[in-house]
Amino acid sequence: MDLTLGAEQEAVRDAIRGVLADRLPSSRLRVLLNEPSPMDPDVWREAGSLGWFGLGLPEAAGGAGYGLAEEMLLFVELGRALAPGPWLGTVLAARALADAAGFRDVLAEVLAGTRPVAVVDDAGNALGGDGRLAGASDAVADADAARALLVLGRDAVRWVAADAGGVTLTPAASIDPTRRLARVRFDAATGEPLPVDAGMLRRVARVLVAAEAVGIAERTLEASVAYAKVRQQFGRPIGSFQAVKHRCADMAVRAEVARSLTAYAAVALRDGDADANRHVHEAKALATDAALANASDNVQNHGGMGFTWEADAHLYLKRAWVLEHQFGSRTAHLDALAAAWRE
Amino acid sequence: MEIRFSPAEEAFRAEARTWLEANMPRTPRPTALRARADYDLAWQRRMYDGGWAGIAWPREYGGRGATLMEQLVWYEEYARAGAPDISTLFVGLNHAGPTLIACGSDEQKAAHLPRILRGDVIWCQGFSEPNAGSDLASLQTRAVVEGDELVVTGQKIWTSFAHIAEFQELLVRTDPEAPRHRGISWVICPMASRGIEIRPITTLTGESDFAEVFYDAVRIPLRNVVGQLNDGWRVAMATLSFERGTAFLSEQVRIARRVDELALVARTVPGPHGRRRAIDDDEIARRLARARAEVAAMRAMSYRSISLAARTGVPGAEASLIRIFFSELVQRIDVLAMDILGPAAVDRPEIPWTKSYLGGLSQTIGGGTKDIQRNIIGDRFLGLPR
Repeated sequence: MDLTLGAEQEAVRDAIRGVLADRLPSSRLRVLLNEPSPMDPDVWREAGSLGWFGLGLPEAAGGAGYGLAEEMLLFVELGRALAPGPWLGTVLAARALADAAGFRDVLAEVLAGTRPVAVVDDAGNALGGDGRLAGASDAVADADAARALLVLGRDAVRWVAADAGGVTLTPAASIDPTRRLARVRFDAATGEPLPVDAGMLRRVARVLVAAEAVGIAERTLEASVAYAKVRQQFGRPIGSFQAVKHRCADMAVRAEVARSLTAYAAVALRDGDADANRHVHEAKALATDAALANASDNVQNHGGMGFTWEADAHLYLKRAWVLEHQFGSRTAHLDALAAAWRE
Repeated sequence: MEIRFSPAEEAFRAEARTWLEANMPRTPRPTALRARADYDLAWQRRMYDGGWAGIAWPREYGGRGATLMEQLVWYEEYARAGAPDISTLFVGLNHAGPTLIACGSDEQKAAHLPRILRGDVIWCQGFSEPNAGSDLASLQTRAVVEGDELVVTGQKIWTSFAHIAEFQELLVRTDPEAPRHRGISWVICPMASRGIEIRPITTLTGESDFAEVFYDAVRIPLRNVVGQLNDGWRVAMATLSFERGTAFLSEQVRIARRVDELALVARTVPGPHGRRRAIDDDEIARRLARARAEVAAMRAMSYRSISLAARTGVPGAEASLIRIFFSELVQRIDVLAMDILGPAAVDRPEIPWTKSYLGGLSQTIGGGTKDIQRNIIGDRFLGLPR
């Protein structure tokens, strides 16, 4: 048993963090969020060349030969950096395409960072369960930048090219300027089924959204602590006041809860642990809870500045709210956990 | 990253489980204090004879000398078997003993360590005073050197099991002129000494395990000072570093079981409106689910903390995070139990859930209030200015 990062995992994390800090500093993010689509295609291609989309794929399939633990590390970093783009859909697509005959070229493009993919969560099979998709899905993240859609149904995973007939994107006014949302309408669109376990892929998705939330919880803690050390009132740094210090302590506890439980869930899922599914529900619920609470406290800790557009505090909070509603809210996951008791 | 244990650790787990199943006390723990202490001592003696006493103590002092991972496994199995909490033996085994191992003289070690380990003796703690609680370093109980003796005068408070303890780890001020952390000494105080008066304190649960201890010119041999005279603060802190994040391993298994039991209770008792079952109430069901998720988080945090300690050899600062999360989680579960039980929780206050709720109020007070714990996190873990 060892829930710490190994030396290679630390190297992976540090490399990702370094690239994101260099390419997507706050100043760059501020430029991107005014664009029609905030994804940076150069960053996307660089991520592809660095192998980020295939971290969890075997080397034979063009991946790095790692697994869910390393993918989790990537998503923690993406959360910390508020990185725009359909990261989740693209990583899930790489997994879904790995064993799909006839998709070799598509997989190569996905891995290379030339074909971003957005994921449509259709847990209730509202779009139908077969190769003809009909209906609409709301709040699809990052579809603005996607060149394909991965429709993750209850039992089936289907591939839909963005330029396929019968697919209509309608941008929504997302709360999060770094993550656009859209309504996707399918009118008898063709979805090609992929040979992958939909339940497993959904659990992976939940872990990766939780990981992004961990990044938000960590980064907002760090931002608050840094500010509390330098911001002076009454002739003292505000971090010396217990009211502020204790709020920061609570943020630290939440970040540790989210980080530890998400890591545990990722490894449990990777290893086929009997309780893995339960821990995935738990991690998704508590990690988004930590992200929301920490991001909100971070606004508070920055005082008047925290309420401005100029400070980054609101961007983390808005991202946390989008994460809360990707792949199941806290309420939905808690209800899933309680279901067995209520039979 | 790995959550599975090694074959050697699993073999250790099987050995521990087998031994505990065969040897664990089967009779309920008595409620009367002296009988309870005798029960604890007999169980300790049995563990000693079986080679399981002092799981974390080094082998050269008769302990098991288990690795951190083995300790983790032991505490999990101990709780899973339902073995009794070490309770009256806590100070001796987890506090005084480790302190003597770290700072005691050969003579002190020989006189006390075997007796603690074998279950011959109960120790108590003499740290807190009426005016030195969270701010322990402001303690005022005086000790003056007279020949080869210390003469102690003052008062301690919140001393658990003072009436049945044979020895006390006692912090006294031996140099009132020195800066407050530098004038303190750590002394082995025989509780049978003349001039000691013990007055029980009845807590809000109605129990009287606590006491005030008064010292009126109590004479203690100078050779009972552990470490150097006036170096007691460092000696007391040495004990704290003995703790490597294993403190809550048994507890997290126990609270996991409590949540499962509570879910069963919620399937049988009526809900908040007197209709249906408590579990059919959405809020109750979600709070239960959240509690179980938080218990899982507690385990994940403990595992991560112990992994870090095993890798680096030093206890991680995240132990302070685990501690406050645990104490508040216990209280959330206690309050949830009160809500699920409804009126039964107040018209039958002897039921275990109500007793647990009342007793649990001390979780965020004893050993440093939750306010002090948050200060520690802010100051030491986050590096915020004091």
